[in-house]
Amino acid sequence: MSYESPIREPLVTGGRTASDVTAEICRPLENKPSKLWWLGFTLSIVCLTILVYTLVRSSFEGLGLWGINKTVGWAWDITNFVFWVGIGHAGTLISAILLLFRQKWRMSINRSAEAMTIFAVFCAAIFPLFHMGRVWIGPVWALPLPNALGSLWVNFNSPLLWDVFAISTYLSVSLLFWYLGMVPDLATIRDRAATPIRKFVYRFLSMGWDGSTRTWARYEVVSLILAGISTPLVLSVHTIVSMDFATSVIPGWHTTIFPPYFVAGAIFSGFGMVLTLLIIARKVMGYENYITIGHLDAMCRVILLTGSMVGLAYITEFFIAWYSGVQYERYAFLNRMAGPYWWAYWSMMTCNVISPQLFWVKKWRRNPNFIFVMSIIVNIGMWFERFVIIVTSLHRDYLPSSWVMYSPTLIEIGIFVGTFGLFFTCFFLFAKFLPVINMAEVKSILPGKAHSHEAEEVKQPDLVTQ
Amino acid sequence: MENKTKYWKGIEELERTPEFVQLSKNEFAEGLPLDEVLNESDLDLSSNRRDFLKFFGFSVSAVALAACNKAPVKNVIPYVIKPEEVTPGVPNYYASTFGNIPVVVKTREGRPIKLEGNEKSSLTQGGLNAAGQASVLSLYDSHRLPVALKEGKTAKWADVDKEVMAKLESINSKGGQIRLVSGQINSPATRQIIAEFKASYPTAKHVVYEPVNYDGIILANEMSFGKAVVPTYQFGKADVIVSFGADFLGTWLNTVHYTKEYSKNRVPGADSPKMSRHYQFEANMSLTGTNADYRFPLRPSQEGAALMSLYNAIAKASGLTQLPTPAKLEVVGNNIEKAAKDLLAAKGKSLVVSGSNDPYIQSLVNQINSVLGNYGQTIDIDNYYYAKQGDQSWSEFAAEASKVAAVIFYGVNPVYDAANGTALAENIKKMELSVSLAYYSDETASLCQYVAPDNHWLESWDLTEISKGHYGFTQPTISPVFETRQAQATLAIWSKNAAIKNNEFNYYDYIREVAKNTVYAQASGFASFDAWWNQALHDGVYELPMAASNAPANNVLANDLVAKINTKADQPELILYTKVGLNDGKDGNNPWLHEMPDPVSKVCWDNYLAISKYDAAEMKLEQGDVVNVSNGAYTIEKLPVMIQPGQARMTFAIALGFGRSAGVKEAVGKNAFPFVGTSNGTLSYTTTNFKIEKAEGSYELAQTQTHHSIEGRDIVREASLGDYKKNAKAANEDHHGGLRKPDGKMYDLWKEFDYKGHKWGLAVDMNACTGCSACVISCSIENNVPVVGRDEVRRRREMHWIRIDRYYSFQHEGTYATKEDEYNHMDDHQNVRVIHQAMMCQHCDHAPCETVCPVLATTHSNEGLNQMTYNRCIGTKYCANNCPYKVRRFNWFRYNDNDNFNYYFNNDLGKMVINPDVTVRTRGVMEKCSMCVQRIQAGKLSAKLEGRKVQDGDIKTACQQSCPANAIVFGDMNDPESAISKAFAKERAYSVLEEINVQPSVRYMTKIRNVEESIVENAAHH
Repeated sequence: MSYESPIREPLVTGGRTASDVTAEICRPLENKPSKLWWLGFTLSIVCLTILVYTLVRSSFEGLGLWGINKTVGWAWDITNFVFWVGIGHAGTLISAILLLFRQKWRMSINRSAEAMTIFAVFCAAIFPLFHMGRVWIGPVWALPLPNALGSLWVNFNSPLLWDVFAISTYLSVSLLFWYLGMVPDLATIRDRAATPIRKFVYRFLSMGWDGSTRTWARYEVVSLILAGISTPLVLSVHTIVSMDFATSVIPGWHTTIFPPYFVAGAIFSGFGMVLTLLIIARKVMGYENYITIGHLDAMCRVILLTGSMVGLAYITEFFIAWYSGVQYERYAFLNRMAGPYWWAYWSMMTCNVISPQLFWVKKWRRNPNFIFVMSIIVNIGMWFERFVIIVTSLHRDYLPSSWVMYSPTLIEIGIFVGTFGLFFTCFFLFAKFLPVINMAEVKSILPGKAHSHEAEEVKQPDLVTQ
Repeated sequence: MENKTKYWKGIEELERTPEFVQLSKNEFAEGLPLDEVLNESDLDLSSNRRDFLKFFGFSVSAVALAACNKAPVKNVIPYVIKPEEVTPGVPNYYASTFGNIPVVVKTREGRPIKLEGNEKSSLTQGGLNAAGQASVLSLYDSHRLPVALKEGKTAKWADVDKEVMAKLESINSKGGQIRLVSGQINSPATRQIIAEFKASYPTAKHVVYEPVNYDGIILANEMSFGKAVVPTYQFGKADVIVSFGADFLGTWLNTVHYTKEYSKNRVPGADSPKMSRHYQFEANMSLTGTNADYRFPLRPSQEGAALMSLYNAIAKASGLTQLPTPAKLEVVGNNIEKAAKDLLAAKGKSLVVSGSNDPYIQSLVNQINSVLGNYGQTIDIDNYYYAKQGDQSWSEFAAEASKVAAVIFYGVNPVYDAANGTALAENIKKMELSVSLAYYSDETASLCQYVAPDNHWLESWDLTEISKGHYGFTQPTISPVFETRQAQATLAIWSKNAAIKNNEFNYYDYIREVAKNTVYAQASGFASFDAWWNQALHDGVYELPMAASNAPANNVLANDLVAKINTKADQPELILYTKVGLNDGKDGNNPWLHEMPDPVSKVCWDNYLAISKYDAAEMKLEQGDVVNVSNGAYTIEKLPVMIQPGQARMTFAIALGFGRSAGVKEAVGKNAFPFVGTSNGTLSYTTTNFKIEKAEGSYELAQTQTHHSIEGRDIVREASLGDYKKNAKAANEDHHGGLRKPDGKMYDLWKEFDYKGHKWGLAVDMNACTGCSACVISCSIENNVPVVGRDEVRRRREMHWIRIDRYYSFQHEGTYATKEDEYNHMDDHQNVRVIHQAMMCQHCDHAPCETVCPVLATTHSNEGLNQMTYNRCIGTKYCANNCPYKVRRFNWFRYNDNDNFNYYFNNDLGKMVINPDVTVRTRGVMEKCSMCVQRIQAGKLSAKLEGRKVQDGDIKTACQQSCPANAIVFGDMNDPESAISKAFAKERAYSVLEEINVQPSVRYMTKIRNVEESIVENAAHH
């Protein structure tokens, strides 16, 4: 029996029992979807259709359909790529790092956060694939495949190649971790299944889970190992993404601060997205007792922390640009602030640096409506951060003769909107067919209930923070 | 005797068993299992399941493969009898002449694919301008007339000949007037043909018409010296050049010759730190103005007064009578006196020229040059130049056009480019006979009853007198692409020349005869005419010894000119000028010329109203606005406005040669020819009779460069001649001493690569480079660079591998402002300094593009070239992003066989111009300057075949070859004696962006300006 401090907030409220948990979390899976679900799902499918249309046109007619040009070779494409990869980071952080730190408040949110990670990586992967001029051969040639041509090989010096490895590793580990964590819950659903098809499908998916102590023990060991593998990924993926820029010679890109700054930014935006999704989900699906105000509060604190880190990074960049004495570097940063894209820069600063500071106020941190608005602002800000880094650095680099302006075309906007379609299509399907909250783990943190299956007793009290 | 030794195949043969005898009757002793195969029942028995699967698998996949491959039928037709001189894959070169420029035509398998300047000409010295480079494409223009036309419908040549001759005959017999309207004829043979034509039809007169001409100079020289000629100007011999609106490097007379000469005296060396000083007084920002040491805005109407001031200043110092002093020029200030001082100091080694077409202004210029003693020195009036000139016959013709019964237009398009073109069009319709010899159905030809299309010059024979005693030969390098006939042959047939056989006229024989009588008669040192002819045709030029150049007495009294020269300068003026490349618009369907950015404004695909910033603010106009420009009778509607730095206040400029409406794929720009007026008996390219009104709407000009300041960056380096004399490394001092290893290279992360063998490099001398952009076209042709059109240029996606960056700085409180935020506040951008910098792939040894490519599609060769492997490229564009020079170009679309890019890559005829040595790139790959790797390989190969080493100068890049200023040097940096090694060792040599240590293989030479003040102390240091 673990000790429960009377002054700590319970992680699950409303006096839920284990059977309540099962019943409530299985409810959406076992009932017909609501009208709201259908509405959302249809909208997502519409956006997904836009994605297919815009990608087909871009691939068959050429990247000239986008707004990029001789000077700005990357714009919305890579902005969106970094944006989506960044969003994914919260899921991994919650499921891996918080598991290692034994932060039990993660238990009710990790499932959906991980799902979000995976869907976000799907969306992200679209951009590096389709930004290739020759998408029909690029994805294959970028892989180090053996061939009969002797020295024909990939360039291990290229950060784009590192991206290939980083993203594919990230996707496979996240998928594995997410799926593994879901197996006990799938078994629960299997056991409750009323129809033969349902039974068959979930039996297949639950891989013969029998709930024995030995199974649980192995499950937990594997979880721990996967958490161990995932943890460096939280840091490495965005570090490598940042190296696309950091290893270049372009002022505004050529910056050693990028790896930590990108990771902080990724977690910042990831939590923003988790909040956006969960505030809706807990309301619509009635999970307020599992995803409590306390959870939201905890996530807001992460946002406050990472937002401040990002802000510090912005200021450091400016200082270093001035301190370096390099005129190109200085100009790049002045141009961000006061050049033709000043509005993008100030949107970024407002959304990412100023607005998260409001979370110092506890009352606001515990107001779901306020948090929801803030989470959207954070994501807008982080999108602008990538836009600012990519476009404002490229559009005015070394030779003023080649300075240009960039504006997106409808096709580019369509692709971006389309990735939201893909993301939400996946998420709606997830919410309908898979348990959104980890039932098995949540049962372990019901108030007044002993840990049933933790590998060992934890002496340390459960802490939300501190 | 029979050989008794006998061999047997085997024991059976020796024994001759019946079985053997039986079998030996068959070709195959054991027989083929044909029966088994053919007999179905046997097949069933002997084929097992494996065989079945094999056959089945093979058939299915073979059928599937055959069905997949919908290969277009392409015929490779070998020569039945191989022409002796044609080897597939090996180019042949023939000398020819484009207009007034001797060229060498490169042909592959019988197709001309590239033009280069002819180094044997002492005038153009191997240079070729943009228009010349581009004219090879006109040969393959699908808009050319393929056959003769009658009333707009296809007609047989024989019928056209018969009918035209019958009509000419009847008109002539009735005494009806016949007119042959042509441009300036510089060919003695053509002149003779025309004379014969006039002889056959006594009522015929020859009218010479040039829409953009130099009559003013010719008339002035007739007045001054009794010689109606344009002299040859020797810009290279002049130490002080003062030009009043003459764009002699861009569009004025023989620009290639002038650029060659001018640039020779513009490059100071450490041993002789000397260069000419160039003053330019002008209203438009011309290419020449951008190269001047001192450029002052001057309105055309002020030119007379300015010249009088100049004359007075010189006269005063020379003890001559001064002219009645004209009004003081506010804009020019004391700069005239300054120019006069420099001119006086360089008497006999100076040159004053004017772009005006007013004979009195030109006469005053002659006076000044006479006083300065420039005749016989820098001006050679005895070896004169055959410039474009019209004559009085045109205005007579225009006046009496309604009375003319028959007209033949040869090489002219007056309906488009004459001020009274509309009236002429009406008259043409009424004429009994109207014929055009144009090879497009242009504005004039489309009104004519008959069109008898001429050959393109690459399909023609001709003999051109470029300047006195300097002959250029034109020879066909391809048989006529269409059913066209050379205009001279057409005229000869119509004048019933005695040499006609079977309605065919052999112009080749004719021209030989003319050459024999005119040129060969004066030549010496040849055994026979054939020997001379073969040599001259081979060389493409033949130059008679030059006549002695004298200083003739000037017959004009300067005082007499005062009354005739306009000094009233109180009204806004509209200036009509021609653009580098497109010129008067005859080649108006050439997409290369339209896509070549204007060397000054960097605008492609349009003309516009150039206006000063001051006037724009006064008139509340902004760039992107459109205006209607009207002279009462004619209105240009919706002409885009372009705010042009350097444009003199109260002057507005529109380029001629745009707005062609017939015989072209699409109308590009607006026609301004109707604004050309007449004054003092010559065409006048300035007018005060115009009104500008703001119109509804807006228009985005396609500009390849939209940011015009250098932002104080150390990318272009410049110093004054004084700075340079004090310190040859002025402006080029090393700022990176502490970052260097003992060997002079900067510290870096990379391992040094030992370039054994060759190491190619390129040097660009910014003092020689005038920015004329001939290299841009030359490179595009050589490397199959696609034309992308106006919209794509607007989207900033032009594909040029070489570009000329042009930066402005503006005089402001004694210094020059180079930052946009400084000069945006200035209300006046008249006093501008310009610098041109050719920019192409720098072939960095530590190329940032190479490290970032995920698939190694761009790699470094062991000769120092940064190479693109198009087949390997997957199009991530990362390399372009990481290129500090932004020289990489991405194939955003498929630019060939794509109706959205309906230029020459989209039709079979246009594709004939493609260089077979260079891949046509596909959609989605990156491309860039390869330093003409195909030329390097060809040069190495021919050296190898000849068993020798590659020598310096064997290999020339396309840009280098065509450069009229010799600004580009290419060669092997590993050869210490090569021109490139010497260029790199110059004190002025520097690498752009050396501090990022990408180690470019291209270096630039500091620009030295011959100005009095120091530039280095003002320059921003980083």
